[in-house]
Amino acid sequence: MKPLLLAAALLMLVAAGKPWRWDLPAGVDAPPVPADNPMSAAKVELGRRLFYDADLSADGTMACAACHEQKRGFADGNATRPGVHGDPGRRNVPGLANVGWLSPLTAADPSLTRLEDQALVPLLGTQPVEMGMTGRETELPRRLGADACYRTMFARAFPAEKGRIDTRTVTAALAAFQRTLIARDNPYDRFRRAEASIPAAAQQGLRLFDRHCAACHGGQDITDLRYHGFEPAEARDPGLIEKTGRAADAGLFRTASLRNVAVTGPWWHDGSARSMTDAIRRHRLPISEDAMPPIAALLEQFTDVIFLTDPRFAMPDHACGKRL
Amino acid sequence: MPFSAPFQRLAPAAIAALLCTAPAAAQMDHAPAQCVAPADLPAPMASWRNPVALKAAADGKGAARAMLTPGRTVSLALLPTPKVAYPVRPAKPGGSVSHGGLASFTVKEAGTWRVALGSGAWVDVISDGQAATSTAHGHGPDCSGIRKMVDYDLKPGRYTLQIAANGEDSLTLLVTRLP
Repeated sequence: MKPLLLAAALLMLVAAGKPWRWDLPAGVDAPPVPADNPMSAAKVELGRRLFYDADLSADGTMACAACHEQKRGFADGNATRPGVHGDPGRRNVPGLANVGWLSPLTAADPSLTRLEDQALVPLLGTQPVEMGMTGRETELPRRLGADACYRTMFARAFPAEKGRIDTRTVTAALAAFQRTLIARDNPYDRFRRAEASIPAAAQQGLRLFDRHCAACHGGQDITDLRYHGFEPAEARDPGLIEKTGRAADAGLFRTASLRNVAVTGPWWHDGSARSMTDAIRRHRLPISEDAMPPIAALLEQFTDVIFLTDPRFAMPDHACGKRL
Repeated sequence: MPFSAPFQRLAPAAIAALLCTAPAAAQMDHAPAQCVAPADLPAPMASWRNPVALKAAADGKGAARAMLTPGRTVSLALLPTPKVAYPVRPAKPGGSVSHGGLASFTVKEAGTWRVALGSGAWVDVISDGQAATSTAHGHGPDCSGIRKMVDYDLKPGRYTLQIAANGEDSLTLLVTRLP
């Protein structure tokens, strides 16, 4: 082997072996990681680039980030989004803060508990079509493999697979990146840790929230991860029953995490709530109109500005030492 | 938000659905409506169904030769994305199989300027190396063929228009000043 090739191979091995180091607040354990998709710095870097790459869609117009915008907590500003062929979207785009801890992952499919599997839904799903890659799976290695930098990045991220580029390695890298989308440092977190105060109105809101809302919107990520219903099921999206077939599951949807809720509107499973107060009212709880401002003041405290602006999560501007 | 007079001639419900104020990065995209007949178009969009052909440029220098005439709709022939050198990296760049390109237009009178597109492509209006911040975004009247509209408050001067992440190799596009 020529010295240059040897050096490149060694560099690749070193890069692939670089362990992933979690950057977590004190007392917070890392999210669960599947044994068949261990974390590595190379895999996270690749997953981040793929997350922002529209070549993961049928006609190259829609990246994961087309709907998951960092400044909106990785949700977007539309009620729903049409797919790559214009098919109407069905559900409001969820935020991705702390998604590594959320299981089940989606609004009404209890079988989706791994990010690796969930990534197949937008990529290959047909109800509705989102990124439209079903039947075009061979396009992934063709498109991405045409880029020398991608070939290097896959080789570093997946040495055991010899850098293979396919649906499995693409979704594995996307999952690894998404597990790093950690938000544990909003004003409410700091208040809970007794590190900082929150405004008086928000404290008043917290008392109301604990009384009326926290039974479901509780825990680290302000969700019980269970299914609840507040309105009759609709034919266009009947909720959990669609997967379970149980009549009692009609109209049920998983409790949404309220992390960054103030920037993830519109709200509700179909984005039909145009304001947070509208969404609160639709829970049909005994909450007076006077209670809305303090509860809204609390919800604002769930916004993690550091998460929304963290350059580690932004669209990369370099790869393999070159500008993208 | 206030609407210009021509838009007030649209049905109130259609007007309400058209635009909302939000920053550029929130450019909206909507599923096309099911249509049985084409919609009437407001005066600033009157040329929409009679586009003239124009070839997009591959870089900022060439954009000066791909001139858009305000108020005149074009069918813009785009380039494969890898052949386009954008002066400013689009916030949502297209993949290698998508299409894009550059054009330019001159603003003679300050005011609110609208870019209307027949697709959900990403659009940037560039001046002095900076992308202008949009003031409103939304979709055109149902059944008009106008899928996306983005408004900007622009001062007199020359602007470069960037189109990114278009699925097809051509795009119907109109730049017009709102009255």
